[in-house]
Amino acid sequence: MKRDQRYKAGIISSLIPSKFSVERWSYTVHRITGVIMVGYLMAHIFETFQLGGGSTAWANTMAALHSLGPMEMVGLWIVAGSALYHGGNGIRLVLNEAFGRLMGKPILPVYPYSPTSLGRNQKIAVWTITALVLALWVWAGVYLLAGIGVI
Amino acid sequence: MDKITLRVTRSGGKRASYEVKYRKGMTVLDALTEVREKQDSTLGYRHSCRMGICGSCGMTIEGLPRLACQTQVSSLNTGTINIEPLHNMEVVKDLVVDILPFFDLHRSVKPYLIRTDLKERDQSDREYRVLTEEVEKFLQFDYCIMCGLCYAACPTAALDPFYTGPQAIAQAYRYMADPRDEGWEMRVNLLDTSHGVWRCHVAGACSFVCPKDVDPAKAIQLARTEILKKRILRKRPREGSKPVSPPVAGAAKEGVKPPPFDFGGARK
Amino acid sequence: MAQPTKEKEGSLMKESWNMVVTYVTAALLVFVLTFHLLLHSPLAGKAFEDTLAFGYATGNLVYYQVIFGVLLFTAVIHGFNGLRVIVVEWLHPTRLAWLLNVLVIALMAFFIAVGTVTLIVVG
Repeated sequence: MKRDQRYKAGIISSLIPSKFSVERWSYTVHRITGVIMVGYLMAHIFETFQLGGGSTAWANTMAALHSLGPMEMVGLWIVAGSALYHGGNGIRLVLNEAFGRLMGKPILPVYPYSPTSLGRNQKIAVWTITALVLALWVWAGVYLLAGIGVI
Repeated sequence: MDKITLRVTRSGGKRASYEVKYRKGMTVLDALTEVREKQDSTLGYRHSCRMGICGSCGMTIEGLPRLACQTQVSSLNTGTINIEPLHNMEVVKDLVVDILPFFDLHRSVKPYLIRTDLKERDQSDREYRVLTEEVEKFLQFDYCIMCGLCYAACPTAALDPFYTGPQAIAQAYRYMADPRDEGWEMRVNLLDTSHGVWRCHVAGACSFVCPKDVDPAKAIQLARTEILKKRILRKRPREGSKPVSPPVAGAAKEGVKPPPFDFGGARK
Repeated sequence: MAQPTKEKEGSLMKESWNMVVTYVTAALLVFVLTFHLLLHSPLAGKAFEDTLAFGYATGNLVYYQVIFGVLLFTAVIHGFNGLRVIVVEWLHPTRLAWLLNVLVIALMAFFIAVGTVTLIVVG
């Protein structure tokens, strides 16, 4: 495959949100959480497959996971946060992409410019979802990590 | 501040520093011009109108794609300004990038009115009327100056060189929304590809950097809803409005004022 | 070098239908995944460790077989379609785009099969 000669094109550049708006940050987090979840999904399907092997197979699987120590619950906590963020932000994206909502109507641009697609409605949606996700993530953290004495 | 330092990325990735005396109201373009005139005449960059209408002087200034003529040095709040070429485009020399592929992407969406009746188009003796409320639906996207800042900011364009790009999609939607255009179905098929409108993920970077508030992100999502209406609701292609005879001179009634030219919802 | 691409006629399906599948699976996933997480949350009335017990896990799969079936299908389709999008953007295959589609469908089929076997055996 021919190497992309364009200046600063590439995966790193596309993922670093730099000085852009919060929506650009949410794109990066959405992508990273999506990849985390697909990885976890594949592992989880194999893990639950052990249920078919009976209680002994399941106990061995759980023992193997518990041998990871606190990292097991921390990992699950990260996955829970990923699921919460990806789902919440995904709702906003479906509203944007499929229904054209939160974008505002076409207007006559008047200086100083402020694009309506990044305007009040979009910001309310982004920050409401972020706040909700953070609150649920903290709650999940207390539930998961308290049981193993981390907190 | 008395002096500012410009750290310019030159050809080959080398960085060159230039010190320039700051004047009140100085733009980044003014500073670059001073460098080229008094310090280093080999410095390459594009510029033309110096008033934010031609779109030539696009470059990455302090991490964001901006027009150099529209960026006040004082607004950057730093004494050292980092200037790079626009991202996602091949560098020709210093800050000059190869903008032709960007124009090719624009050309690929056929950014002109399409009429099926060629005789009517070429030998018309009538006007295409467009109502004010119809103009409101696409005029914002008509302000594009093709500076390339949106394409440089787009994270999908950074990954995928085949991506149509926010500017081209916005222009395609501009014509989809134009009641005179009869190429609606053709544009839907042009955009509905694996490197077309569906590769946008609403990062909003394009609208964030657009110097003319064209808001390409909004145009892209509106284009998507049009495509989904066609695919799912089987919406029939919209026919272009028919030309009408121009009004006869003197036919207007006395004392009747035309309606105010007001785009409802425009900010004061 | 940035350049427009011509979509090959007769590719598997229009990209818009792909995205409709993504949106529909996303909407379904929000509900079924929330349900799945609630079964392992404080609202289940147990400590998290206890929700991993063999009896509890198998009981859920038996009692809510349909919901877990929907969860399996929607999660796999949504997830691997998303991965396909990332690969299309990153590697932008042109001549081998068909191979990517075949690989994605194969992976989807494989993981759905493994999950379905689990549901059937446990059920």
